[in-house]
Amino acid sequence: MFQSPTVRTSFIFLAIALVGLLFADIAITASNPWRDLGNFFFGVVTPNFFSNEGLMTALLRTVSFAFVGVALGSISGFLLALVYRWLPVRILCAFVRAIHELFWALIFLQFFGFHPLTGVLAIAIPYAGIFAKVYSEILEEADPEPGRLLPPRTGVISAFLYTKIPDCWVQLRTYTAYRLECGLRSSAILGFVGLPTLGFYLESAFSQGHYSDAGAMLILFYVLIATMPLWVKPKLLPAYILGAPFFLGEGLPIVWSNVGRFFTQDIVPSPLRGEEGWAGMGAWLGDMFINQAMPGIWNTVILTQVALVATGIIALLAFPLISTHFGGPVRRTSGHVFLVIMRSTPEYILAYILLQLWGPSMLPAVVALALHNGGIIGHLIGRQSSTIRLRPDAPNGLNRYTYELVPRVYRSFLAFLFYRWEIIMRETAILGILGIYTLGFYVDSAIQNIQFDRAMVLILITASLNIGVDVLGRFIRRKLALQTMPTC
Amino acid sequence: MAGFDLSGLTASFGGERVIGPLSLKVKAGEQVALVGKSGAGKSTLMRLIHQHVNRNSSLVPQELGLVNALPVFHNVFMGQLDQHGNWYNTVTLMRPFSRDKDKVRELLKALGMAEKLWIPTASLSGGQRQRVAIARALYRSAPLLLADEPISALDGPMAHQVMQLLKDRFSASVFALHDVDMALAYCSRIVGIQDGQIALDEPAERLVASDIMSLY
Amino acid sequence: MALNLIRKLMVSSLFCFGAATASAETFVFTAIPDEDETKLVERFRGVADYLSNELNVDVRYIPVKSYAAAVSAFRNNQVQLAWFGGLSGVQARRLVPGSEAIAQGVEDQAFETYFIANTNTGIEPADELSSLEEGLQGKTFTFGSKGSTSGRLMPEFYIRETFGEQPDEFFSRVGFSGNHTRTLRLVEAGTYEVGALNFQVWEKELADGNIDTDAVQVIWRTPAYPDYQWTIRGDVNERFGEGFKQRVTEALLNLDDQALLESFPRSGFIPASNDDYEPISKTAEEIGILD
Repeated sequence: MFQSPTVRTSFIFLAIALVGLLFADIAITASNPWRDLGNFFFGVVTPNFFSNEGLMTALLRTVSFAFVGVALGSISGFLLALVYRWLPVRILCAFVRAIHELFWALIFLQFFGFHPLTGVLAIAIPYAGIFAKVYSEILEEADPEPGRLLPPRTGVISAFLYTKIPDCWVQLRTYTAYRLECGLRSSAILGFVGLPTLGFYLESAFSQGHYSDAGAMLILFYVLIATMPLWVKPKLLPAYILGAPFFLGEGLPIVWSNVGRFFTQDIVPSPLRGEEGWAGMGAWLGDMFINQAMPGIWNTVILTQVALVATGIIALLAFPLISTHFGGPVRRTSGHVFLVIMRSTPEYILAYILLQLWGPSMLPAVVALALHNGGIIGHLIGRQSSTIRLRPDAPNGLNRYTYELVPRVYRSFLAFLFYRWEIIMRETAILGILGIYTLGFYVDSAIQNIQFDRAMVLILITASLNIGVDVLGRFIRRKLALQTMPTC
Repeated sequence: MAGFDLSGLTASFGGERVIGPLSLKVKAGEQVALVGKSGAGKSTLMRLIHQHVNRNSSLVPQELGLVNALPVFHNVFMGQLDQHGNWYNTVTLMRPFSRDKDKVRELLKALGMAEKLWIPTASLSGGQRQRVAIARALYRSAPLLLADEPISALDGPMAHQVMQLLKDRFSASVFALHDVDMALAYCSRIVGIQDGQIALDEPAERLVASDIMSLY
Repeated sequence: MALNLIRKLMVSSLFCFGAATASAETFVFTAIPDEDETKLVERFRGVADYLSNELNVDVRYIPVKSYAAAVSAFRNNQVQLAWFGGLSGVQARRLVPGSEAIAQGVEDQAFETYFIANTNTGIEPADELSSLEEGLQGKTFTFGSKGSTSGRLMPEFYIRETFGEQPDEFFSRVGFSGNHTRTLRLVEAGTYEVGALNFQVWEKELADGNIDTDAVQVIWRTPAYPDYQWTIRGDVNERFGEGFKQRVTEALLNLDDQALLESFPRSGFIPASNDDYEPISKTAEEIGILD
């Protein structure tokens, strides 16, 4: 079995994670975590939908920000996809998507302040980078033959509209709709940094221990996502997209001089602003590298590797829950509900909840990342396993799992896992804002100290780390010849 | 300019020469049938000619090249995308103009499938798809037709109808055909291809089916 | 009811452009989120109503999620007045030339930080922090917010000064709870063994009977330092008319609504000046929070 490169790769990663575990800070520090967890679940089953007058508005804002942000991102991403062949465009896209929505929000907050534009751009910019990449991949796979048959003087636009778009339309639409779901999650967590979406109230409710209020918000959020096929109809989309900008709220007016100040002063490294000049840059960068970047990178990498393997384990354990090869309809339905909840809950919110309940350490982050990402991958390979036709005399139970199904889905399982590697790292970095010592912690600290120059350098480091892992992940997937559709 | 005069045509695949070097001259008013066993290089020769005449021809490739997601109308309309500006084509994509609709419907009627105008080509049968590609070539109305096995999926009467139509509408045409009787019935000149070279080039009236069979 | 709500939202959103221009004339203020949000919103809506009455302009309170967000909003002129802590006030006034500390609570002249410990640790109260070295070493410890004066700056200063080590070297685990109420709850629950918080929050929660004194107790009090203050931008007169700054200052100093004062909790507001906060500025520079 160890001859197989996929198995060997898996064990290498497992070993790295186990070594990482030795260095990772894993603990439950709360003195009575189970009581708190119990209180939380009690809150979820006794939701209070009427606690907060702002709740409905928050839901509306969450949807509006998602629509406007995803629409803008998809339009710009589409335009970028047309010139994606151009190397600078590819680099730009890789760069903007390597920076998490929350980081974008924190950046825009510094000069647009509490204006709707902050939230819209925080979603639209990274999404544009992702859309550009995926759209260009989809367009590239269109059948080239019809284009070759066109009369020679056909306009480029006409040719594109007739031969590329119709061929890719279904895929483009499916992916965009899927991204809209991701956009709702992104929009919700923007509330954690002060935008008027669901996260704003969720954070308040949680931090004050109002679990019934928090439960109500979570339930509404799940319902919102689960019912998307019912209310996101192609015919209604134009109305939503045109209407959404009017429901973003008014926020506070933008003072444009702040924008100039941010770019010409705030993010200029402090030695250059002061008298030291370039001579002081070495010491400034060195200090930041040793005291902030290095520990941040170390913790981010360790947490990512542990969470990656934990995600894999959860996914492998979870997929039989929805596979038609196991259990009856009751078991499968409850499996579906469980996985929907896991993957609809943004890992940021899951991590936040678990941190409140278990106290600070890497454990809540690992569990949150593993549950969310494992839920997504488990769902995908569970669905795939249901399409496998087993011979009539195939074994049952554990043997069916280990001999018939896992070997058949293992390659796509690994493909998804390595695809999500970069996503897990991006999230890991951001979880630092919650107090785990990953890169996000140091970015947040710099922002809290009004040192945007430091924050920017740390964000750039985070982005480079993500790009590095993305490249590595793609290399491994190519090496093992694994193919997959994008997930978010 | 309906005909062409090409020389030094060559094509290689994986480092191995599959066509030529050969010369081929087709005059206006000629219907040329390329015959030969499969793998002899007929399709490759078709593509070569298509490139060498700067795509100034109506091509019906073997794999048809339809945009499956678009309805029949648009697949046919694509034959004249160069006749209109981008805006016209874009509007047509959403809401075709009635004169275009009438023209395309007329063509489809001649091919016996007028009622399929708005059906996405993905849901058509093989024979119907082939006729859509033929309709596109007719709509393109270039003076030269290059058709690679255009009737392979059509039944007897329809095959004859289509061949007659193509013969009437184009002043010069090159067909790749495996059906020798059809070639003799509708073409004025037979060119036999063997191992990438021209092995036979005679007017059709001087040949009978058995003369050609030697190529197979 | 739902329909009504939707209609109201529609109307308010459709007029958002109009509202944006109108809000240029609205006097907006914020406050650092140092306590539970519900309490803050209640307290500062009261202040907004009071100021609106006194000043005859629309006054709006904007809740924010972090100390830095409060400072940024002030700096970006999206708010013109803010209830800052000592440190955030110094940061804000450095960033906005011309801005002034105009009023502070009576208690803010001599503010204190309480170190609190879960009783399970067995740490007994002491007068000198140095005598607690043995008990505190290696415990888990939480600050409040990263930008807080009483919850971060002063406790960190005394920890470094007394033990000669950075907090994360001296304690086994250091966290930032986010705000004072949460610090209290976390230490009370034992999630962290020791914490540091604003003494006013402790006293008020104690008086309201919200603290389980069997689970958590005060183990050390810092020497006094200046803390919270109202800070106003220097350019408000240009925007809201001559003498506006003076009128805001007087309104704050004259605030005598007992319930409102109680919610801070402060016994009243007295004049303040930028110089009052020089000690805070020095301390922040010393531990590297300010350049």
